[in-house]
Amino acid sequence: MKRIAFFFLLFLASQTVHSWKKDEFRACDQTPFCKRARFRKPGSCTLIATDVSISDGDLTAKLVPKAQQDHDQDPIKPLTLSVSVYQDGILRLKIDEDPSLDPPKKRFQVPDVILPEFESKKLWLQSASTEKLDGNIAGLSSVVYLSDGYEAVLRHDPFEVYVREKAGNRRVVSLNSHGLFDFEQLRVKKEDEDWEERFRGHTDTRPYGPQSISFDVSFYESDFVYGIPEHASSFALKPTRGPGVEESEPYRLFNLDVFEYVHDSPFGIYGSIPFMVSHGKSGKSSGFFWLNAAEMQIDVLAKGWDAEDGILMPIDQNRIDTFWMTEAGIVDTFFFIGPGPKDVVKQYMSVTGLPAMPQLFSTAYHQCRWNYRDEEDVENVDSKFDEHDIPYDVLWLDIEHTDGKRYFTWDKLLFPHPEEMQRKLAAKGRHMVTIVDPHIKRDDSFDLHKDASQRGYYVKDATGKDFDGWCWPGSSSYPDVLNPEIRSWWSEKFSYKNYVGSTPSLYIWNDMNEPSVFNGPEVTMPRDVLHLGGVEHRELHNAYGYYFHMATADGLVKRGDGKDRPFVLSRAFFAGSQRYGAVWTGDNSADWDHLRVSVPMILSLGLTGMSFSGADVGGFFGNPEPELLVRWYQLGAYYPFFRGHAHHDTKRREPWLFGERNTALMRDAIRIRYTLLPYFYTLFREANVTGVPVVRPLWMEFPSDEAAFSNDEAFMVGNSLLVQGIYETRAKHASVYLPGKESWYDLRTGTAYKGGKTHKLEVSEESIPAFQRAGTIVPRKDRFRRSSTQMMHDPFTLVIALNTFQEAEGELYLDDGKSFDFKQGAYIHRRFVFSNGHLTSSNVASSPLGNSKFSSDCIIERIIILGYTPGAKTALVEPGNHKAEIELGPLGFGGQHGGGAAVTIRKPGVRVAEDWKIKIL
Amino acid sequence: MKLTISLINLYLVFFCLIISSDESSPSPPSNSFLGIPPQDEEYFKREMIKCKNGSKLFTKTQLNDDFCDCPDGTDEPGTSACPGGKFYCKNVGHFPSLLYSSRVNDGICDCCDGSDEYDGKVKCPNTCNKAGKVAIESLKRKMEVYQEGVALRKQEIEQAKRAIARDKAELSALEKEREAVGKLVSQLTELVRKLEQEHQENEDGMREAQNEKVENEKSGPEENADSQTSEVEKKWQSNESPPDQNEKDGDESSEGLSREELGQLVASRWTGKKTWVQVKEIDQAKNDQENGGRDAGYKESEADNASHQSWLNKIQETAQNFLNMFSAPVANLDSNQIWKDYNDYTAKLSDIDSRISSLTGKFKHDFGKENEFYLFYDRCFELEQDKYVYKVCPFKDAKQKGGNSETLLGKWVEFGNSYRLMLFTDGDVCWNGPDRHLKVKLRYAALMYTPILCLDEKLEEFKQKLESMNQVQEQGLNHDEL
Repeated sequence: MKRIAFFFLLFLASQTVHSWKKDEFRACDQTPFCKRARFRKPGSCTLIATDVSISDGDLTAKLVPKAQQDHDQDPIKPLTLSVSVYQDGILRLKIDEDPSLDPPKKRFQVPDVILPEFESKKLWLQSASTEKLDGNIAGLSSVVYLSDGYEAVLRHDPFEVYVREKAGNRRVVSLNSHGLFDFEQLRVKKEDEDWEERFRGHTDTRPYGPQSISFDVSFYESDFVYGIPEHASSFALKPTRGPGVEESEPYRLFNLDVFEYVHDSPFGIYGSIPFMVSHGKSGKSSGFFWLNAAEMQIDVLAKGWDAEDGILMPIDQNRIDTFWMTEAGIVDTFFFIGPGPKDVVKQYMSVTGLPAMPQLFSTAYHQCRWNYRDEEDVENVDSKFDEHDIPYDVLWLDIEHTDGKRYFTWDKLLFPHPEEMQRKLAAKGRHMVTIVDPHIKRDDSFDLHKDASQRGYYVKDATGKDFDGWCWPGSSSYPDVLNPEIRSWWSEKFSYKNYVGSTPSLYIWNDMNEPSVFNGPEVTMPRDVLHLGGVEHRELHNAYGYYFHMATADGLVKRGDGKDRPFVLSRAFFAGSQRYGAVWTGDNSADWDHLRVSVPMILSLGLTGMSFSGADVGGFFGNPEPELLVRWYQLGAYYPFFRGHAHHDTKRREPWLFGERNTALMRDAIRIRYTLLPYFYTLFREANVTGVPVVRPLWMEFPSDEAAFSNDEAFMVGNSLLVQGIYETRAKHASVYLPGKESWYDLRTGTAYKGGKTHKLEVSEESIPAFQRAGTIVPRKDRFRRSSTQMMHDPFTLVIALNTFQEAEGELYLDDGKSFDFKQGAYIHRRFVFSNGHLTSSNVASSPLGNSKFSSDCIIERIIILGYTPGAKTALVEPGNHKAEIELGPLGFGGQHGGGAAVTIRKPGVRVAEDWKIKIL
Repeated sequence: MKLTISLINLYLVFFCLIISSDESSPSPPSNSFLGIPPQDEEYFKREMIKCKNGSKLFTKTQLNDDFCDCPDGTDEPGTSACPGGKFYCKNVGHFPSLLYSSRVNDGICDCCDGSDEYDGKVKCPNTCNKAGKVAIESLKRKMEVYQEGVALRKQEIEQAKRAIARDKAELSALEKEREAVGKLVSQLTELVRKLEQEHQENEDGMREAQNEKVENEKSGPEENADSQTSEVEKKWQSNESPPDQNEKDGDESSEGLSREELGQLVASRWTGKKTWVQVKEIDQAKNDQENGGRDAGYKESEADNASHQSWLNKIQETAQNFLNMFSAPVANLDSNQIWKDYNDYTAKLSDIDSRISSLTGKFKHDFGKENEFYLFYDRCFELEQDKYVYKVCPFKDAKQKGGNSETLLGKWVEFGNSYRLMLFTDGDVCWNGPDRHLKVKLRYAALMYTPILCLDEKLEEFKQKLESMNQVQEQGLNHDEL
């Protein structure tokens, strides 16, 4: 009776009432620069371009006011303007204060975002031609070459910059066509002036006064604009001003930790990418990127917004005007000519970099919760996956694993043997991720804090002391990751020596890096906080999380001696974050609306470079009904980043906790992801080479299909699969639009559906609508394992969906899944083509066949052919001339087996790494 | 030396497999009956074999040919080709086991005989004998503990029997006593009523005054508490009120809060910790009161227990005296003595009642088939976990104590799952912060080890298991020798 032990589990039934604290965040009319800018009238910009010339390969000019200035105003100094041209149809426009005129302070230009090699792509302009537009005397313009068929034009008076197609002088993108340009120059404070701004008890000293910039950007031949994440709203951006628009905030770009964000709002959340893409009926896309990390507000203007002002614009019914405002920084903008959607994405990536090639394991399923309590809990969850034969690759530990929220430490009671724990997981090919946030506990006995404060590595408050904010550990300070030296210092903290208890199977999660400051204005850092070189936080706010993510990813690269690809998940992001890892859509909620909005959010992220993204499966806040959870797994299996996560007040929701039936459904969903891992990995490689995202909008694959333009219920996974979620409870039917002219095959049943049509489909609890496009070949691995690691040597299945010409093609990329050797050609890249009853495999890797430093003994065990008339009995395999049987076989295994059967070549036995041909006899 | 040799072996195995596979498959097993339980082997000894779900037929050569023909996995018991399959490990020397087919040739040794890994990627040593021995040892240890447990259980049952007898004796004594005291009190009540009639007006006046006072005292602090919370709420609400349109607004909003308070407030939205503490403190006060009352009453009656007999005599004496009094005129009565007796005996009666009700309440509980849990009634079990002490009192409640606050995790309901589960429900409701309105109801599950559940039959089961284990172990040893 004396020997008594208790083991505790807490079950928490919670009921969450959504309470987004809207009033804690600044609306546009509480933000002076935004409020002022929105009041500006078209045509109010009086700047004209003078001294236009070619210098250092750029087209340069000065911007000066046309009219005489009032004497009681400060004299407006000329601004410098430069237009540069880069390969592949990229125009860069910079406007800044003239450094030779002694401005009070150098305005901030965001460093380390543009790829260093981008400069080498610059085309040195030799000359500019001059032309008169519209016969207007004042309409002098300077024209320079941009790329074949495209020109960049600088109109002098009033100044305007645009890109046009030579043929027919068709405009593509233009800036200041409506004369809304405004640039507040830094000046010396007058005695009677009060520059301070106050918001909810916080005072922003604003020592440099007003310095905002705003201008209009127009996209031509456009029906919709997209991009500028992160917002929980529709994929096609809705107008925020003009006829037919009720009161609306502009789309805000300001990285914020928003508690319980709502599912349809233009308010800014965790990340910011000031990159917008337009698309129209012509099938053409164009893009505009503003490299600026200060708070930004963007209005999408409804057609006719300028009707009263009578500005003459070239007649173009399909023009979309937008209005961009920022608090600080400079004009450093990029115009992308397209013309295809994939071209625009590629052009943007040539500026900001391609998405990193992830580790194979990180493309599989992740299991997370705030918090897996202790080592026993971890072991238990891990073994339950095995017990239920559900594969998973990564187990995550949230903040509670640390010793008092001191990152890089372990709670000694709960996690006394972290290395052993990781080794146990690693023995099954599994990995662990721990959280490392930027707030460092101000505790003199904490080495990291001591080190940072002694070195002066913290961000400083307006008075020059270490900034002291409140976050999980209480009083905290934040490393100044703008400084490359401090980033380097930070990255050293991830070495096995410094991060005690870490092992090679441990990877990192960066949360709260907006940065989140609980007692700061809008739950973030005050804007007058100081960074390296006196840079104010207001100038770089949106990039803080980016630099932190960068430093962490670099740390993991260093830890592995440059041999191991990093995996770092970040919540905050900026343009260029795709180079450092994955992001997720933050603290969503367990409701159907959040399930629904996850799709446009992920599409927006992918379009703007963040291909590796996902939403918390199940919803972070609240308890999902089992049906919602199942639907979320079914959809989440197709997210590029696939992780289940939950708030600590929610009930446990691991896939086996909702009865046998639901366990089976969630297992099936997760297994679908695992069978498709070869396809996903090939797509991650495509993104890594071309920038085209893993998950993409329908119109990226079907650019002329108008019905697809505003569809954000469905999405494409690569060019072959179309997936649509089920977003409501007890759905019996779903309307699914299948684009294009070719057919689509139901993944489970093999049933063919016509393209270019909306189909009303019956829906069961077993699956969500998912189709393979006719004319494609998808590689799969149909054997189930504990984790992706054990699938390495498993054989492949090829699924061929034939089009009306009985043809199809597809690709397969594979490498060692973890090192950087692929950069030296250590990979296998095959193209499969089916035509005339022959399937051929050919090498598309840059290294010639047999010369690859990576080899694979994997074979192809099964080839399924959809849309092929049954009858054939055998196939001939070359070389070797052996025969393989053909039979009617199942389309899938396990729960995916939806009763579908198709022509199947049984055991062709060909090696995936080799050239071969299979002829159906 | 050893390493080199094993590498060569590995290489040879791999090489052979390639040759035998005829380019059609990487790793079909050399034994086509691999992974089939012995009792099923007969089923597979035919030319044409049926998938177990009846979906189709497959040929002998398709058995374990590393290609999935039956969606239910019938044709691939020894490979990973079918997801639904099960692999049978013989595990000679230990117990046989069934694995998911996902474990076959995945590079991880699952069967102790290593039979699940045969494609040469990994060499799995046969650990069945060792594992079997370990299992026997651990079973033996378990049996020892269990044997001890069986003895303890018996003791416990004996003690429970005695305790029940004692409690029953006490109850019947109390019932007698109650009858006597009850009579006495009703007589005293009659006398008191008489006295009251005389002093009615005075008494009424006094009582009213007293009642008023009591009510004031009662409602006072409560009102205070209310006004405190509403003040907090107000403060919060003002925080929430929409700021002025003015750009320089918000001065009143969070300025009342210190930096730290604001940080904690915002943090509490996610953690919900702030009000959690408040609720716990309030509840502690409440619980303390309840506990204090009950304990006091119980002790008193226990102290009385010893002198039952003399008490009864005394009561009978007193009763006789009162009978005499009834005949006397009111004026002659010693009103002070009557009042004192009245008060004493009503108090006594209520003590007896409370003890009787507590005993009858106790007897209502289900203490197990042999009342083996009877002595748990007055026991509590504590466990310290991190910052909290968890206290479980069977038949009463379960609490969590941390710092100077206490949270009720649940009140006793009943045993469940044949006395393997104690159910407590209806714990404290915590409001998880005024900002979130997150209603959290705590339930909890605890694991507790007790010899009370050590049954003789179970011990018998263990013995049988041990015997069979010894047998397979011997087989395994013989096998090794061969």
